[in-house]
Amino acid sequence: MNAVQLFALTPLIVLSASSVVLMLLIAFSRRHVTVAFMTAAGLLATFLCLPAVYPDLPQQVTPLIVLDGYAVFFIGLTLAAAFALVLISYPYLQNRPGRPEEYYLLLLLASLGAAVVAASSHFAAFYIGLEILSVSLYAMIAYERWSLMRLEAGVKYLILAAVSSAFLLFGIALIYAQFGSMEFSAIAARAAEGGITALVGSAMVLVGVGFKLALAPFHMWTADVYEGAPPPVTAYIATVSKGAVFALLLRYVNQYDVLASPQVLLVLTAVAVASMVVGNLLALMQNNVKRILAYSSIAHLGYLLVALVAGGALALTVVSYYLVAYFVTTIAAFGVIAVLSTSERDAAPIDDYRGLAWRRPWLAGVFTAMLLSLAGIPLTAGFIGKFYVVASGVSSALWLLVATLAITSVIGLFYYLRLVAAMFEQVETHATAAREEPVGSFAATAVLAVLTLLLVVLGAYPAPFIRLIAATVSF
Amino acid sequence: MIDLLWLIPALPFAGFLVLILAGSRLPRIVVAVLGAGSVGFSAVVACLIGIEFISSPLVKTSFTRTVWTWMSFEGFSPSTSFCLDSLSLLMVLVVTVVGFLIHLYSVEFMADDDAYHRYFAYMNLFVTAMLVLVLADNLMLLYLGWEGVGLCSYLLIGFWYKDPVNARAAMKAFVMTRIGDTGMIVGLFLLYNSLGTLEIHELMVRAVRDWPVGSVMATVAAALLLCGALGKSAQLPLQTWLPDAMAGPTPVSALIHAATMVTAGVYLIARTHELFALAPAVQAAVAVIGVATLLVAGFSALAQQDLKRVLAYSTISQIGYMFLALGVGAWSAAMFHFAIHAFFKSLLFLGAGAIIMSTHHEQNMFRLGGLRTQLPVTFWTFLAGAASLAALPLITSGFYSKDAILWYAWSSEKGSVWLWLGGVAGALLTSIYTFRMVFLIFFGEARTKVYKRPGTAMLVPLIVLAVLSMVAGFIELPHTLGDVRLFSGYLGAVLPPVPIPPGQASLEGILGIVAAAVSVVGICLAYLLFLKVPQIADRAASTLAGRALHRLWLEGCGFDWLYQRLLVFPFVTIARINRSDFIDFFYQLAAFLAEGLHQGLSATQTGRTRHYAVGIGVGALIIIGMAVWL
Repeated sequence: MNAVQLFALTPLIVLSASSVVLMLLIAFSRRHVTVAFMTAAGLLATFLCLPAVYPDLPQQVTPLIVLDGYAVFFIGLTLAAAFALVLISYPYLQNRPGRPEEYYLLLLLASLGAAVVAASSHFAAFYIGLEILSVSLYAMIAYERWSLMRLEAGVKYLILAAVSSAFLLFGIALIYAQFGSMEFSAIAARAAEGGITALVGSAMVLVGVGFKLALAPFHMWTADVYEGAPPPVTAYIATVSKGAVFALLLRYVNQYDVLASPQVLLVLTAVAVASMVVGNLLALMQNNVKRILAYSSIAHLGYLLVALVAGGALALTVVSYYLVAYFVTTIAAFGVIAVLSTSERDAAPIDDYRGLAWRRPWLAGVFTAMLLSLAGIPLTAGFIGKFYVVASGVSSALWLLVATLAITSVIGLFYYLRLVAAMFEQVETHATAAREEPVGSFAATAVLAVLTLLLVVLGAYPAPFIRLIAATVSF
Repeated sequence: MIDLLWLIPALPFAGFLVLILAGSRLPRIVVAVLGAGSVGFSAVVACLIGIEFISSPLVKTSFTRTVWTWMSFEGFSPSTSFCLDSLSLLMVLVVTVVGFLIHLYSVEFMADDDAYHRYFAYMNLFVTAMLVLVLADNLMLLYLGWEGVGLCSYLLIGFWYKDPVNARAAMKAFVMTRIGDTGMIVGLFLLYNSLGTLEIHELMVRAVRDWPVGSVMATVAAALLLCGALGKSAQLPLQTWLPDAMAGPTPVSALIHAATMVTAGVYLIARTHELFALAPAVQAAVAVIGVATLLVAGFSALAQQDLKRVLAYSTISQIGYMFLALGVGAWSAAMFHFAIHAFFKSLLFLGAGAIIMSTHHEQNMFRLGGLRTQLPVTFWTFLAGAASLAALPLITSGFYSKDAILWYAWSSEKGSVWLWLGGVAGALLTSIYTFRMVFLIFFGEARTKVYKRPGTAMLVPLIVLAVLSMVAGFIELPHTLGDVRLFSGYLGAVLPPVPIPPGQASLEGILGIVAAAVSVVGICLAYLLFLKVPQIADRAASTLAGRALHRLWLEGCGFDWLYQRLLVFPFVTIARINRSDFIDFFYQLAAFLAEGLHQGLSATQTGRTRHYAVGIGVGALIIIGMAVWL
């Protein structure tokens, strides 16, 4: 490793260092606001490193890590999402019992794991990054250890993630057995050989990845964990964790041209169709908002898979744009849930949202915008994302996938609009408890406002952003 | 400055956004400043841009600016472009200036209304949509503005929606114009399909290139566009919505249902005049429809008792004149009459509003009277508007604009004596019903008390519009009277002049004198029948034939009655019979199926970790199986 390569690694180093600093800080000071501020500062500092290192990229740093425009883009996305979630978490945790400080440490570590996954060019790096991410997540889900619901969700996630990791490891081992290497580039070089061992290995890796992405048929945990975890953590699982893994999947698919193999194409198509259908159908009559968003995320990952299967030069842009839109929407939606949650319980039942538009019009407006974006209504980022996915599917003539996407989107419209309708319901005398305005809720409000603005700007005027993606995101 | 073109529609739109989102929490004064101010600023920007545009060489061509490209994907890049040329600049100036005056007037007129902010929000949105309509450089964007003004018209007719009568009038306006719009959108599809673009300039170039004069395609396309124009401009046979549209606040009638929106059809035809020139049959139909409409509406106006309904029928009739001009190819004469009409008709509506407000919502002319002394400013300005509407010779703008239309109706290649006769008969009717209105309201004995006098915010627009109604016509004078051609010269870059066969020119003076005489005769008749010896009119109306005729005219020549029997009743009957539509069954089946699948899938969500682990295992087996054996 030479100096240039070391310098390219700066973002990851700064992020790791911030975790250490934060850990030392917590040892001496248990002031919530200081810790949250330091976390945000650490994330910001890491983010500022990205443009600094960008000119010297791409750099292969050891066989494990590659830093290129693609990695920088997804690390940046991870950091931005984590930053927004820190601001949303602060008032939420302030409002809840217990000591909140270590939560931020876990959040930083999870972000480090996600960054490693997004930059990995080797199965070992991928696995290590994934475990850093997952282990932090187990603790984050069950952070409020006095709550049985949180504990249950944490343990469920732990057990099932362990099962999926076992598949992942076994798959990696099989691929190694065939090719004698865990480097993506080395595997890609010998991909033409084919062979049953590598094929089974790839399938098993897909099981592990599918679990993390909550693709059908590995989606069963999603709703239970989403429901049980604190809203900011749910948002983290839905965005950062899935985004990093999807980024890795796309990188792998791009290097090791697995789409050339008809079996893999078939499997991915089947998984995409199953995810779109199952996700949207499960959400249909659901009355718990967190579960609705969980099922909807299954469907959205299915849509993303369509762009992945379509492949081609467009796939990079489409996936990047779609993920950004999905991040913005999901974080803001869970942000609204976090803001509405009280110190006793999360605002999950749909009844909590009835007549919200009349009680808290701005919050209801933000949530409505997010739901419309998830449904893919024009002038939101979600529409442009879906448009690009459909366009790339059509240009690759994936008629089955595009038709499924269209039909299931219609089903999706029902439950999104059902929520919107509930918010605009005229509720008779509602015994509203005195509104708790926790300290620092200004931060969450500001994040929601920025995200809503971003949603509309990305939806109404996407051209500059798409140009930015096209310029940045490359291997 | 001209680069700020986008600002003209953006300002009222910003006003709309602020008012609709936060208007209910703003004090009334702020609402008024935002509502009227945004349009006022827009008018200022429009004037500055207009001055720059006219003094630059661009005036001979046009200026197009893309303000927003939504996305661009493999050749598909829907963009919003505004195009400024002399025609759209004229429309922009009229819309913003008259719009601002009416907003200013509304500040006082609507002062006691509870939904003050809602009113200004809708009005601002209307101005935005109208500006988009006239600035659009392609027909798709024009259609957006077209539907936008239709929506605002609906919202504002039904502004006092708590009275079901108003809501019904709003619905009627929406549905009637929708009939025309359906034809128009089919026309747009046809144009795009056969010519491959909707960008207006390019479209016209390709139409002239690809379609010979009188070809079927050109005729069908022009006829379909005409459908939309007929609905929006309330021409025969889609005119019945406009009299009922008077249910809205009076300034709304002035702005939307007199000065701007209802003339959108005229603008559309002028904008696509090359296409209409390719379809002589359709263009002839435009002229005939115009004459028929102006006569039907003129007779109807004669029998009305409600002040606003007289003005509504008069609007239909005056737009009939514009259609007549378009039909004989006198494009710029039509636009000239549009501009002058916008001034005097909004003036008349605003004057009517002042009268109605002063007398506690008395709209029946027979219960008004003698208001001349009590409302002097309103009287004089109303008189100016009425004189212009009746085309009082020499001193009013209305005379010059109408005289031009009548002259071209006779002399143009596409004109004829019959069209001219119809127009002249209409002119007689116009001056009779106009001065019937003036005499009934302002002369004779006072039959109602004046409770309240209009204040400055209402009087200033009246005076400004009165001045415009008198003098604006002097920018275009006939050959016989000074031969000033400022207006048609200005529009010459967009709208070609009327070809006049040789040997006709000498007639212009004689026809002008006839038109002038008709107007004066009409005023004298009105004086005789409705002020001096009203017994004559009463006796004529009390005969059997007179009663029948009066009833027919009062009902707008029975179109509503006819449509009710012929269309509405059968439609409603069929809808009632087919209440449980069998096609719905398929949709219900789909919904039922989705719900069943949801129930089935939900059963897998047991909440037990062991089941989930099995799920992963089975999924893994399936995937490995697929990878290996398929």
